[in-house]
Amino acid sequence: MQNAPSSKITPKVNSISRRFSYTLIGVITILLIIFAATVIFFDINRIESEIKRRLDNAIEFAQNSLPTPLWNLDYVVVNDFVDALFLDESIVYTKISWEDKVITEKVRHGFQVQKLETALPSTLFKGSKYISKSSDIQFKENKVSTILIVMSRESLRKKALLQIYGIIALSIIIIAAIWFTSIFITKRYISSPLLKLQESASSIANGDLDTIVDKSSNDEIGLLAKHLDIMRGSIKGLFSKLKESKEKLEEYSRTLEHKVEARTRELARSVEELEALGEISQTVNTTLDLETVLTSIVRHAVQLSKADAGTIYEFDETEQVFIPRINYGVSDEFIQAMRDSKQRIGAKTVLGQSAEKRLPDQISDLANVPNYRIPYMKQTDFRALLAVPLLRKDRHIGGLVVRRKVAGKFSEAVVDLLQTFAAQSVIAIHNARLFHEIEDKGRELAIANKHKSEFLANMSHELRTPMNAILGYTELIIDNIYGEVPKKIQRVLERVENNGRHLLGLINDVLDFSKIEAGRLTLNLSDYSMQDVIETVLTSVEALATEKNLDLKVKVPKELMIGKGDEQRIAQVLLNLIGNAIKFTEEGEVIVQARVSSETFFISVSDTGPGLSEANQKKIFEEFHQADGSSTREKGGTGLGLSISKKIVEMHGGRIWVDSIPEKGSAFRFTLPVRVERQMEQK
Amino acid sequence: MSKTILVVEDQEDSRRIMRDLLTSAGYEIIEAVTGEEGVTAAETHQPVLILMDIQLPDFDGYEATRRIKAKPALRQIPVIAVTSYALSGDDVKAFDAGCDAYVSKPFSPRALLAKIREFLN
Repeated sequence: MQNAPSSKITPKVNSISRRFSYTLIGVITILLIIFAATVIFFDINRIESEIKRRLDNAIEFAQNSLPTPLWNLDYVVVNDFVDALFLDESIVYTKISWEDKVITEKVRHGFQVQKLETALPSTLFKGSKYISKSSDIQFKENKVSTILIVMSRESLRKKALLQIYGIIALSIIIIAAIWFTSIFITKRYISSPLLKLQESASSIANGDLDTIVDKSSNDEIGLLAKHLDIMRGSIKGLFSKLKESKEKLEEYSRTLEHKVEARTRELARSVEELEALGEISQTVNTTLDLETVLTSIVRHAVQLSKADAGTIYEFDETEQVFIPRINYGVSDEFIQAMRDSKQRIGAKTVLGQSAEKRLPDQISDLANVPNYRIPYMKQTDFRALLAVPLLRKDRHIGGLVVRRKVAGKFSEAVVDLLQTFAAQSVIAIHNARLFHEIEDKGRELAIANKHKSEFLANMSHELRTPMNAILGYTELIIDNIYGEVPKKIQRVLERVENNGRHLLGLINDVLDFSKIEAGRLTLNLSDYSMQDVIETVLTSVEALATEKNLDLKVKVPKELMIGKGDEQRIAQVLLNLIGNAIKFTEEGEVIVQARVSSETFFISVSDTGPGLSEANQKKIFEEFHQADGSSTREKGGTGLGLSISKKIVEMHGGRIWVDSIPEKGSAFRFTLPVRVERQMEQK
Repeated sequence: MSKTILVVEDQEDSRRIMRDLLTSAGYEIIEAVTGEEGVTAAETHQPVLILMDIQLPDFDGYEATRRIKAKPALRQIPVIAVTSYALSGDDVKAFDAGCDAYVSKPFSPRALLAKIREFLN
């Protein structure tokens, strides 16, 4: 909590009471000084006139009392009179004389007559200390003597001074009294409550919101205190709210921090594990090299379990022992020792035990196992061992073992993780085994396939050669090369020839199909004229159409673009389609159409034959399929023609399909890119 | 003047069919069984036309054709390849080797004769 520096709140205070006192005292002092000065001034004047009056009184007294004695020359009386005068202690010198003759003279002690001349006349404080007056004394109009009286101002001055001192002293006392009183009053009623208030405020400012504010007085300060207290209250309220919020916030942030920390740790671990698992499963899925996969698994298993070494054992079913297959972090010597140890299921080792229990097994400290089954282990500094069995459908595949140099139990999380790794290892081993099997099978298959292809190629050659001879001789006989042949025999021979050609067709189709199947059919791409191809094909089938009384129509524009493709194969497709159309149509017409649109040939062969059901429309392009099985023999053909045509069209990047209405007819259509620059891959 | 046709063919039946066909059509024929023999016979007899089988025991008909066509004296003699492969690309191979035409086995004697007449008339 922040404490406001108190120096800022309570600077050197120029106390109100002191200021108030100074001001008050200043004013009072000045007033008093003026008053004192006035008093003294009037007093001095009063004393001065008093002295004068007394001197005048003394002269007057002398004028009244002395004429008679002086006249009578009664000097005793005169002296008595002078003595009487001297009762006034201010009178310091009296001389009564007649002409130059001194009748009587009296001097007070200490007064020097010689100084008299210089001492006269002046005011009380300035100039002379003395004042004198002389006067003639007359008796019945006759001057009898002269009297001189000198009075000292000293005693009066002393008196006056005493009075002034008195006034000053009084003033000082009054000032002091007022001063103390004012200080007391201001302190008692202003400074002190204000100071208290200030202390409270300062205390509040410094954060002590429970400060008790004295608001007992009911003056302005009390009001101020009340308001201060209200302010304190609301600040306290706000503060406690703030504090509460802050505490809540702190609590939140603390728990959040903890949570985040924990979660981060968890995530980091999970991420690490997931990464490892990801890497492993990727390796399992992408690499069929078992060694790579298992090496990756062992490495991750060791790293994630914070162990130092690990081994994946493979279970040899014939020998019934575990053989170390992949190792991490161990020496060759160690591997040899493991191999030599010939661990079996149920052996007194972690691996043997885990295999027997079909569960993970661990030894937290080898030091506590004095007679471990593998004595070599004692030579190493491994302390903790963990083994997880590799099982597939309850069959032993092997085991995963990790070793740590630090003694202690492996956590459940690690055990779980290693079980996952074990599962991955099993998959990898299984995959590898499967792959080897597949590879072997594949090799066998490839060999068999090669044999088949070779057989087919040879067969076709071997079949064609005698066919060649049969067909050749038959034709020569029919043509009477070997002499005149009776008509009857000739007709039989024609049938022989037809059947021979059919057989040849079958042989060719099977050969083509097997070549396509083996992916050995390659297109021979060159420029061709679609019109020419169509014409050539028509020439070869015209006779058939005429024979069946069918109308064979051709609708081809005069100028078709020069195409690029395998002319012979395209002709084969057309021949097949037109041949079929003629073959299956009993009456009506067969129309061949061709056109070009957006760099594509659109070819169609339509007939007025029996048409195809919807189901057959789909199946018609499949191998060995004819709409009606029975018609195969009757109509000839292998049922391969359309599927071969389909393959050829597709190899050109085209498409073939049929539109048909049963009982109305069919239209076989295909497209071909005008310029085929490369052969399409067969699916 | 009798027209001599050289038949290079290793199969007896094929040779016989050609012989019977061509003889009856009024041609004289010379037969060779291997490619080597065919090339020699072509040089010796200067035939008007050669029917060349492709599958021969020593080297194939394409090679024999190339050798014959390499000799200036024989270059103009038409060579008709008779191939039993009927494989796509055989025609191109045949033309590349210098053959003037090709007929695939099993051939129709009638068609073969028609093809020969195309060259000789």
